[in-house]
Amino acid sequence: MYKSIYIHIPFCHNICSYCDFCKMFYNKNLVDKYLKELKNEYESLKEDNVIDTIYIGGGTPSSLSMDELDKLFEIIKDVKLSSNYEFTFEINPEDIDEELLIKLKDNRVNRISIGIETINEKFYKFLNRYNNKDILKEKIKLCKKYFSNINIDLMYAFPKETIDDLKNDLDFFKSLDVEHISTYSLIIEDNTVIGNKNTLPIAEELDRKMYDYIIKYLEKIGYKHYEISNFSKEGYESIHNLTYWNNEHYLGIGLGASGYINNYRYTNTRSINKYLDGNYIYEKEKVSTRQKEEYELILGLRKINGVNKKDFFNKYGKQIEDEFDIINLIGKKLLEDNLGYIRIPKDKLYIENQILINFIGDIDEKD
Amino acid sequence: MDKSHIRNFSIIAHIDHGKSTLADRILEYTGAVSERESKDQLLDSMDIERERGITIKLNTASLHYTYNGEDYNLNLIDTPGHVDFTYEVSRSLAACEGAILIVDATQGIEAQTLANMYLAMENDLTIIPVINKIDLPNADPEKVKNEIIKVFGYKEEDILLVSAKTGEGVKELLDHIVEVVPSPKGNKEEKLQMLVFDSIFDSYRGVVVSVRVVNGTVRIGDTIEMMSNGKTYDVVEITRNTPKEEKLKELAAGEVGFISAAIKDISDISVGDTITNYKDPASSKLPGYKPMKSMVFCGLFPIESNKFEDLREALQKLKLNDASLEFSPETSTALGFGFRCGFLGLLHMDVIKERITREFNIDIITTAPSVIYEVVMTNGDLLYIDAPSKMPEVTKIKEIREPFIKTNIFTPSEYIGPIMELCQEKRGNYVNMEYIDESRVNIHYEIPLSEVVYDFFDKLKSFTKGYASFDYELIGYLPSNLVKMDILLNGEIIDALSIIVHKDFAYHRGKSVVEHLKDAIPRQLFEVPIQAAIGHKIIARSTVKALRKDVLAKCYGGDVTRKRKLLEKQKEGKKKMKQIGSVELPQEAFMSVLSDDYDE
Repeated sequence: MYKSIYIHIPFCHNICSYCDFCKMFYNKNLVDKYLKELKNEYESLKEDNVIDTIYIGGGTPSSLSMDELDKLFEIIKDVKLSSNYEFTFEINPEDIDEELLIKLKDNRVNRISIGIETINEKFYKFLNRYNNKDILKEKIKLCKKYFSNINIDLMYAFPKETIDDLKNDLDFFKSLDVEHISTYSLIIEDNTVIGNKNTLPIAEELDRKMYDYIIKYLEKIGYKHYEISNFSKEGYESIHNLTYWNNEHYLGIGLGASGYINNYRYTNTRSINKYLDGNYIYEKEKVSTRQKEEYELILGLRKINGVNKKDFFNKYGKQIEDEFDIINLIGKKLLEDNLGYIRIPKDKLYIENQILINFIGDIDEKD
Repeated sequence: MDKSHIRNFSIIAHIDHGKSTLADRILEYTGAVSERESKDQLLDSMDIERERGITIKLNTASLHYTYNGEDYNLNLIDTPGHVDFTYEVSRSLAACEGAILIVDATQGIEAQTLANMYLAMENDLTIIPVINKIDLPNADPEKVKNEIIKVFGYKEEDILLVSAKTGEGVKELLDHIVEVVPSPKGNKEEKLQMLVFDSIFDSYRGVVVSVRVVNGTVRIGDTIEMMSNGKTYDVVEITRNTPKEEKLKELAAGEVGFISAAIKDISDISVGDTITNYKDPASSKLPGYKPMKSMVFCGLFPIESNKFEDLREALQKLKLNDASLEFSPETSTALGFGFRCGFLGLLHMDVIKERITREFNIDIITTAPSVIYEVVMTNGDLLYIDAPSKMPEVTKIKEIREPFIKTNIFTPSEYIGPIMELCQEKRGNYVNMEYIDESRVNIHYEIPLSEVVYDFFDKLKSFTKGYASFDYELIGYLPSNLVKMDILLNGEIIDALSIIVHKDFAYHRGKSVVEHLKDAIPRQLFEVPIQAAIGHKIIARSTVKALRKDVLAKCYGGDVTRKRKLLEKQKEGKKKMKQIGSVELPQEAFMSVLSDDYDE
């Protein structure tokens, strides 16, 4: 039984140079067909349970027109939401206006996530994203009129970026005074505009320095570092994202979306034609008990608090230390046992993968 | 068939001069295979041979040919073309009376043309010089003809022109083989003497032996005896390849074929041995082969230590049809249990390494190739050292000698300068230079073999845009001012990384090695200091910085499967590395100790 829903809207008016998410240029005709198919997909998978979180992400969900948004919300209008539900909608800064915000609010959205990334003009062209500091400030003010739970994205580690550049962005973010900040370093992926241009990443040392700087800065002004790349004011952790990190079931629909239902993890096709033909699924894999235990760590250790040993025992009937090489890793200072939680020491968070590979079973051992 | 109607011959050539293509055309022409059946290069059956375009294991085809209305049996015995496989060439040549020497009409005589020619002459073969690829637009048969006349002393009318690609001249060549290659000597009524020139392992038949009958006749049911060890077997099957397999009842003097005799133990058969009839034995063995000495040595270690026995088995199987492969168990503090292996040359080493990984599925780490050093001790003892880690203490050494080679470097004359520079860099001594014609020379240098084992080929190629060809002969051991250089990781000597270097080049080499190691070793959880030392003196140092970032910053839309896949890939990569103490080393790290191109 799932309690969270993710909905993917792949359309964008503008393609960012670094983006390797599932996206395409906005096309009215295609959007109509897509929303129809999205409804079909949802109808084929829906359950009758009460839902805690919904997340509509992209692409750019805010690229849709008002009547298209009506069609989108129509799909999920019968979803029963719990009393403390969280319903997030991703917005591109340029799309923010009163009409949109009211539309979202009327349709039960109670959290918005805004992809600001940077306000440094130096990087606009490189990223193919453009902001205006003053306009942005006004727009966030407008958002606050309607929403009391706002996330903004911060990106760093652009080629030639300095710590001073980063500080400027952080100073601006601080002035916006929102509830949640998501940060991530620029990753140069294949098949993106910058990947195709053979852009070189910044030095590993500087990247790490920036990460450490961000943590220090945000913690100092009252944000809690609760997940590797997420910060929030007390009580404003993203409940939806925690569904992922807590290894819980969730429904994912739309192009390229992934989900975890009835013990299957699946990923949808990224081909719009296949999707519109009703061939939603790209791959699907049953998760064995052993793999579930592995995921518990792979995902759970993204949380700063880590994995609760008692919860693990209640879920699997086994001690976590008996199942994995925990004691040895604690000895090597790659893990910590803190008040009943197994967690990654703060100075090792940024090399998390080195720790996680110890929990991965061999490919040929899968059942 | 009457032996006057048998011709046994090989084709010899420099690499890529068209040996396998000519063999295919001959097979087609004699009707052995239809054009439709012919896969490209039929005689090259191992994957690695096809991929690299070289023939490693010899193969034999028996062909029917009609000349002047009479039936002839032509046995084509294939040979490898590369310098490393001289041993195999000499094996197959010993089973022949004639050889076709191919020279590419666009390239002319190359280093291995010369080497193969000398081998054929040593075996007293009748040699037919053939100029191939005359169909190509840039072919210059007249120029190549003059080279052959000048270098080998042939007359113009001895030289045939052929296009193995179009088939032009192939009939004339076959006629010429019948006319000039002598029929085999020997008497089929004499006592049996068969020369073993190859063997393979077949899981159904056991060891299958390739033989040339020199005297006598062998029949199915005969009890045969290996003259080197007295082991006896009953002949179960006699076949030959046309190249399809054909079953025979007997094989008589002058003929070539395959014998199966339920031979289970691969070590009972040695190439070069003589087989005789147990009940009516010959009194003496055939001359056999001069064993080839291994020139290049390296350690082979399984990445997973429980694969040691599998590796032993793989080496034994490879040795079955590659007598030149040597190996003995070796223990390294760093790498555990493995084998010290001897090879004829670098290509031979690469081929064996690749076959172990590919055919036997064992992941291995190989240490840097080394040569054999002669060490004269202060007490007068002479030691042969095939691994740097076995080098005795400096105070007990009176002198170290190393093997030197003499080069044949065939090159267009415009590259003489760069080649000389390269040879000097490699501690070479200039001998002389021969002009083949106005525009091509053969350069002779004496160079320590150890300088050639790493990147000499590659550098020669890049210095000459691929126009130069290279071959060498061992000329003996000479004293050199050599020292052992150790490499320390995290303060500990890693025995598998030690190398022998010339004292004058030690500082530069040390610098180069630590820098290359720094690049080859991936960042680890902690900082890894790298040092190069001679005795207790540190001569160079560098550091692999600690890993600072290895994280998926953003895990979007709950795409957890992708995250897992990335981790699985990362884990697989880690498995290919060897854990030494607390440091993980990839294969490249073991090769970087040979680098000497550090720019200060």
